[in-house]
Amino acid sequence: MAQEGPIPPSEPKVPLYQASTQCRNWRYSVNQLARIRAALNEAAVAVIRSTFEADEQGSSHDVSFLNADEEVLLVKLYITKITQLCGLFRFPEEVEATAITYLKRFYLKNTVMDWHPKNVMLTALFLATKTTNNPISLESYTTHIPNTAPNDVLDLEFLVAQSLGFEFAVWHAHRALWGIWLDMQANSSMYDKALSYIRASRLTDAELIYTPSQIALAAFSLTLPDIAEQWISSKSPNESTDLRRCIEEIVVLIETQGQPPKIESVREVDRRLKICKNPEKVVGSKAYLAKKREEERIAEEKRNRKAAEMQVEESDPFGTELAEKRRGLVDYDDDDDDDD
Amino acid sequence: MDAVEKANAERQRRWVKDKKVGEGTYAVVYQGREASTGRKVAIKKIKVGQFKDGLDMSAIREVKYLRELKHQNVIELLDVFSSKTNLNLVLEFLDSDLEMIIKDRSLVFLPADIKSWMAMTFRGLEFCHRNYILHRDLKPNNLLIASNGDLKIADFGLARDFADPGHKMTCQVITRWYRPPELLFGSRYYSSAVDIWSVGCIFAELMLRIPYLPGESDMDQLKTIFRALGTPTEEEWPGHTKLPDYVPVGQFPKTPLRDLFTAASADALNLLSKCLIYEPRKRIGAGEALTHPYFFALPYPTFPAKLPKCSTQLAARPLDEVDGNVEINSTGPGVKARNATLKRKLTSPDDIDGEGKRRSIARRLDFSRQTPGS
Repeated sequence: MAQEGPIPPSEPKVPLYQASTQCRNWRYSVNQLARIRAALNEAAVAVIRSTFEADEQGSSHDVSFLNADEEVLLVKLYITKITQLCGLFRFPEEVEATAITYLKRFYLKNTVMDWHPKNVMLTALFLATKTTNNPISLESYTTHIPNTAPNDVLDLEFLVAQSLGFEFAVWHAHRALWGIWLDMQANSSMYDKALSYIRASRLTDAELIYTPSQIALAAFSLTLPDIAEQWISSKSPNESTDLRRCIEEIVVLIETQGQPPKIESVREVDRRLKICKNPEKVVGSKAYLAKKREEERIAEEKRNRKAAEMQVEESDPFGTELAEKRRGLVDYDDDDDDDD
Repeated sequence: MDAVEKANAERQRRWVKDKKVGEGTYAVVYQGREASTGRKVAIKKIKVGQFKDGLDMSAIREVKYLRELKHQNVIELLDVFSSKTNLNLVLEFLDSDLEMIIKDRSLVFLPADIKSWMAMTFRGLEFCHRNYILHRDLKPNNLLIASNGDLKIADFGLARDFADPGHKMTCQVITRWYRPPELLFGSRYYSSAVDIWSVGCIFAELMLRIPYLPGESDMDQLKTIFRALGTPTEEEWPGHTKLPDYVPVGQFPKTPLRDLFTAASADALNLLSKCLIYEPRKRIGAGEALTHPYFFALPYPTFPAKLPKCSTQLAARPLDEVDGNVEINSTGPGVKARNATLKRKLTSPDDIDGEGKRRSIARRLDFSRQTPGS
């Protein structure tokens, strides 16, 4: 084995944040967000309308479906519920922030008319306890939440994880705030105030548009404008115009959108949702039963096919070889060929 | 079907499972390929249905970190999809692991080969640490080897982010033989230095061709470490007697590493000793290790493609328990079976004098017995 000289140096270092799934897959412009939500909403309405019509013709005429803004409003209400639950369980800030991110991301792939945010919120929070390394047992989780069974949480876990693209790592603005705070050595009594702006930002789309450090800087400049200004000039004198503009945008976002929604307006949305939600997802409805029957039929077909295959193998006069081949497989119940 | 379910079904169709190559309590590993290109992959199917708390922590950790990490020396997670109640991780296919290579007595390691494996290990680890991720289970069979010789860090089932200072972490991590003394003494506040200790043990194992510090219990592990490196004094490791599970395990004198590693270069021993410093704060960091004179001295590291390869290709590499879910207090299957042969080596460590006499050592070991988990 010849000596080949030193191993070549590693590839150029990409800033950590830029390599993250958050930066690559979960950042949007304001317009992109609007388009995605409008498209999801339209598609859902079309599907539900046709399901209604299939059940009973003309039945979809009087239904007033939710629009994209109303969906966002409802999700926003459930963001505030995450905060309440985290207070109840005394979960760390990171769990709360992560669950809120999951909930928002989930509704960039799904609509509230298919999946009501109440259960999705519970699942997102439970998943966040695990992904942030603060796990609690499902039992103690659900016993502390009224009217919630373990299955309400577990049934959706895969769906939520899938919707997140199994991308669980989240970079948070409150961490960035802490870093900036340490760097500035600022008055610590003002930290809580800055943190409250970060919390307000969680009710907005800020994290889907801006970087954690931009949001943190906006929270900081809302708290101590003069010091924040000095810090910006000293850190990035060259790009400070862009940075200032973007911070200004976040400040506006926090000030205009960073409040919990008015309960009356959400109640109205939720009332209409009861009528316009996807009947295929309502346990016991005609459409739900029809879908279940279809799924059962497919599963039955598959089982029969499998049984037939097994029979062929067993009646094979050269069965020993086959039997030997199968010896290594421990659990026959477990479907190994679930690719089909 | 929902858009999300559709996307999942599409992902699922991209990959084909060909044959089962390994099985653990919680996971099955298949060899498979990408349907469109025929590219070989490994598909790790984690059975989730049986967990009462849903997706289990080790699967979540593995997915969380591998989704973020992309580096030549870290295993690549190509895709994730679910099928019924199973979670499927599509990983790049790797033929063997460093443990198989160390145990393959037909292979001879040159100092340049060891340097190459160490460089790749440190590069992968430096990347993890740069991303604030602790691996917490480094050992030879978690360092996988690609067909082109590249070494890749795998199995992130015990990984976590660095905690903030003052935030408690569990000390029940890292397979015992590779576990640093601060964890054995129950330290709940630690950092990247724990992984460095493991790398030091692996470095020594590459030179010795047998595990360097094979303790038989947690207590014996401390004794084994101190027997090899001397009992730490308060001066070299301030405060260690105040750690939660501190127990005195006897006084052992310091013996120079040179006594055991007779064939190693001075640079190699210097780097090894810096990985095995008792005081975690003084232990070398991965980035610092990469600029250590060892890597710049002759002989230069062997080009990965020219490294010794396992003769027995991965026919069926049985899964380590740790792959699927973690039985934290055990050192994993296979350990007991191996102890029988290890004891012999331990009682006569003087026989092992570095790389020069490797062949004779190999002959004395009983490799005929197949051990699970190898």
